[in-house]
Amino acid sequence: MERVINSLRGRLLAVVLLINAALAPLLYLGLSRIVEEGYADLFVNSVRSYSRMVADQLEAVPSQDFAARSQDVLDDFAVSGLVVFAQIEDGTKRVRSAVSQLPAPGRGEDFHFHEHSDQAYYISHSVKRDDHEVVLRLGFDETPTLEQIAAAKRRVLAAVLAFALVSTVLAIALSRVIARPVVRLREAAKRIARGEVSTELLQHSSIAEMRELSHHLEHMRRELVGTSERLQSEIREREASEGKRLELERRLQHRERIATIGTLAGGMAHEFNNIMTPILLYSQLALNGTAQNGALASDLKRIVAAAHRARSLVNRILTFSREMDSQEARVFTLAPTVAEALALVRAIMPANIEIVVDPLEDTPPVSGDPGQLHQVVVNLCLNAYHAMRVAGGRLTLRLGAAEHAGKGGARERYAMLQVADTGHGMEPAVMQHIFDPFFTTREVGEGTGLGLSVVHGIVTSMGGSIQVESAPGRGARFTVLLPVATALEPAATDVA
Amino acid sequence: MRRAFLYLLLLSVSGLLHGGQKSVVLIARADSKVSDLDSLTVRKLFMGWPVLVNGGPLHAIRNRSDEQLDEVFLQQVVAMSQSAYERQILTGLNRQGSIRPEDVTSQERVLQELLTDPNAVSFAWLRDVAHNPKIRVIRVLWSE
Repeated sequence: MERVINSLRGRLLAVVLLINAALAPLLYLGLSRIVEEGYADLFVNSVRSYSRMVADQLEAVPSQDFAARSQDVLDDFAVSGLVVFAQIEDGTKRVRSAVSQLPAPGRGEDFHFHEHSDQAYYISHSVKRDDHEVVLRLGFDETPTLEQIAAAKRRVLAAVLAFALVSTVLAIALSRVIARPVVRLREAAKRIARGEVSTELLQHSSIAEMRELSHHLEHMRRELVGTSERLQSEIREREASEGKRLELERRLQHRERIATIGTLAGGMAHEFNNIMTPILLYSQLALNGTAQNGALASDLKRIVAAAHRARSLVNRILTFSREMDSQEARVFTLAPTVAEALALVRAIMPANIEIVVDPLEDTPPVSGDPGQLHQVVVNLCLNAYHAMRVAGGRLTLRLGAAEHAGKGGARERYAMLQVADTGHGMEPAVMQHIFDPFFTTREVGEGTGLGLSVVHGIVTSMGGSIQVESAPGRGARFTVLLPVATALEPAATDVA
Repeated sequence: MRRAFLYLLLLSVSGLLHGGQKSVVLIARADSKVSDLDSLTVRKLFMGWPVLVNGGPLHAIRNRSDEQLDEVFLQQVVAMSQSAYERQILTGLNRQGSIRPEDVTSQERVLQELLTDPNAVSFAWLRDVAHNPKIRVIRVLWSE
């Protein structure tokens, strides 16, 4: 109910009803007053003129006939119906019309219509006779005029009520006309609030103000929708930019961490290598000077073998730290080296692992040591093997060319090597550390944790990068990007 | 004692009777040449028709100083309602070139006008002019 009263239509209707409630009684009272005064004025004017005419006629009656005719004259006037009392007073003598309908009034004459409740209007006139004056008293019936006034008032009341009714009906219709576009605007605004921003606010209304309002609102909506879309686009761009920034930051931090570890490991490996050299040299010398079948020779052989394993480990650490310079840096294409490494890998792969090789397209030439790239392929394939050795799976190798943003932001061409498996995949927390030296998820004794570190070190030393994509249960995919060799680099003979 | 009471009673009744009677009279200046005017002439005068007395036109003054006096005038003199009288006066002014009686709303002004114009004729309550030696009552227009 309160909603109806507070609505636009309710308010408009209420205003009209209030105006009607206030004005209709005033209109009725005012019109009734006008009607009353009009009828009263007409009555008073008539009776005054009529009584004056009667008095004038009585004055014209000859004196000798007056006594005899006065009764007849009064009767003549009285039978007209308007006069209900007629009497002539001559001193103490009174002559009254025989057809008078009222008794002699006990009061004086009237000067206003319906002044007294007896519904009669009395007028007295002095009628001049020869030597004296007689008084003519006439009474007029107010009832017909009062009935006319009552009837006129009823008509006025009916007219006022009809006016109020018609104006109320018109107000209802008008309120609908005015409120309809507002209601439509409200519904459209609701839809916009629900997210349907394409809803048009433009309304076709015969009311100019309403039309202009809807035009302005529609204009405003379009501006807001445009601004909103721009803002959302900017937000998306910023989010993407922020994501890229975070990714770059993560990569940078990872690279710095790897570089720090590499520097530390490299320094340690270098020192360790210096220590290992005399151990290996002197143990070899001691072995040479000892009988080969003796127990001592056997011990020395174990020392030499252990020293060789230690040197190999040191070399791998140095490879990871990039302190071991490539001995055979030259320009070559990836396909022959990968094919050579793949032949080695096929030999050790169990039957439950399928090897799929996309056609080894010839890639753009790169600069580096093919032997090191051979190691990269083997290490990545062995890593895939370990991920699939229980449940089996599919190992996929792919070569190609790619374009990628370089250090300066410009697009640069790269040779691409991709190794993918369908193994158990990795958690994100594991992925952060896979290139760390000595990090491994395998059982103790199953690996040194240097395989991917060495791969990272080789690829980085070749000026390339390595990316990994993985999720638990969805395998892993390593993508190695190596910069294409330029013409200025030393062009050595390619290994075909 | 009984006699004195009866005398006092008679005096008071006569006083009431005398004081209770109201009359409206036609008046002019004491030295006015207007002797008498019948009711028809008075009506003509106040309807704006020219009325000559000794060759001079009379000047009608409508005394509107009292509402009841005005009603008596309308009912007894012109025998019309207020609106009809106004209508008749305007009709006479526009069609016949009659003279509109001067409306005066103050009793003092009425007397002043009468005193300054020997041809002026007006009406008033008898009680207001009965003891004025400068004013002469021409005739009684109405009494109650």
